[in-house]
Amino acid sequence: MGGKSTISSESGRQDSLYREAAYEFGPALERLARAYEADPEKRRDLSQDIHFQLWRSFQSYDGRCSTRTWVYRVAHHVAASHVIRERRTFSKLVTLEQVEQLTDRGSAMAAVQQQADLDRITGLIQLLKPIDRQVMICFLEDMDSASIGEITGLSPGNVAIRIHRSKNILAKWFHEGKNHEE
Amino acid sequence: MRNERPGDKLKAIWHDQPTEMTAMTSKLIQMRARDLRAKTRKKLIGTIAGPIAVGVCYALGLWLFPRHASMLHPLFLLALGWSLCGLYFLNRAMWSSVVPGDAGPLTGLEFCRAELGRRRQLLGRLLLWSLGPLLLSLGTFILAIGLSGTPGHSLLPNGLPFLVLTAVWIVVYFGLRVKEQRELRMEIEELEEIGRAAG
Repeated sequence: MGGKSTISSESGRQDSLYREAAYEFGPALERLARAYEADPEKRRDLSQDIHFQLWRSFQSYDGRCSTRTWVYRVAHHVAASHVIRERRTFSKLVTLEQVEQLTDRGSAMAAVQQQADLDRITGLIQLLKPIDRQVMICFLEDMDSASIGEITGLSPGNVAIRIHRSKNILAKWFHEGKNHEE
Repeated sequence: MRNERPGDKLKAIWHDQPTEMTAMTSKLIQMRARDLRAKTRKKLIGTIAGPIAVGVCYALGLWLFPRHASMLHPLFLLALGWSLCGLYFLNRAMWSSVVPGDAGPLTGLEFCRAELGRRRQLLGRLLLWSLGPLLLSLGTFILAIGLSGTPGHSLLPNGLPFLVLTAVWIVVYFGLRVKEQRELRMEIEELEEIGRAAG
């Protein structure tokens, strides 16, 4: 009897934690899914997977990190798993350093110059390997270095370098794309 | 003006994007759980393909070349036993995966490294426990074809296209899997390097 009530109160806690997280971070999770998957059908599937794994994860959430960190970690894990599965390896994806070279050459700009502002940003993010993608998304979600470090596992110094690079790359990529359109 | 705080403008664009809200109702959660179980079942059924293929080779070999049965039996039995053991190791590798929903305490770096490592391990086991016995049984089959070839009615010329196709398939498949393994190793090393830099 007691066991049953403990189970139901645990599952009630899990449900309410999930509901609160879905309410607070729902739009951010949708943006995250968009940054990982371009195909709308697959994106909807990924989004549902993220929500399902998130709901599942709250079974073991012990409050040792903030809900936000937990939610982003789980969401990024699901999305990274999706990328690994879909692309088999990251060989076609690039690092921030390689994107810097891409924008220098301007060769990749032609591919995105006709697209809208948002498509340009998501197009760039979708080129990145999961760790750089995580940093870029967290930066766009307005997180500080410490929070990004907590989610990705990178040191604050490493995060700061990557954010600095991300900013420069985004600005360059974005403005060069604009110039091409003008 | 353009270069003034470019991040802010991009963040604004990022936040202003239209989003469709996804919320899991209990019905959707049950549906997802069912999907997940179905996917796992499919994967498990997929691992049976190896022993089935070896079994087909075994049966076909004995049916076509009964004269060499005494020599073919042990080789085919070895291949079948090998692939049946492979079922256990392949399944163990599949079950050892960390479900993203259970990996909340892991950071992105740790999770990606574990996921890539798991994929690499699974690929290695596929080569050893699935492709290995299949190669042995095909090799035995080809050996039987070769042994049956006599100057009067040689089977080898008729089996030549099959032999060539099999050889090409094996070389291409093996090459692709080894390349994939190498790429995964490079990815893991890259993440390890980032991890070391992170302290």
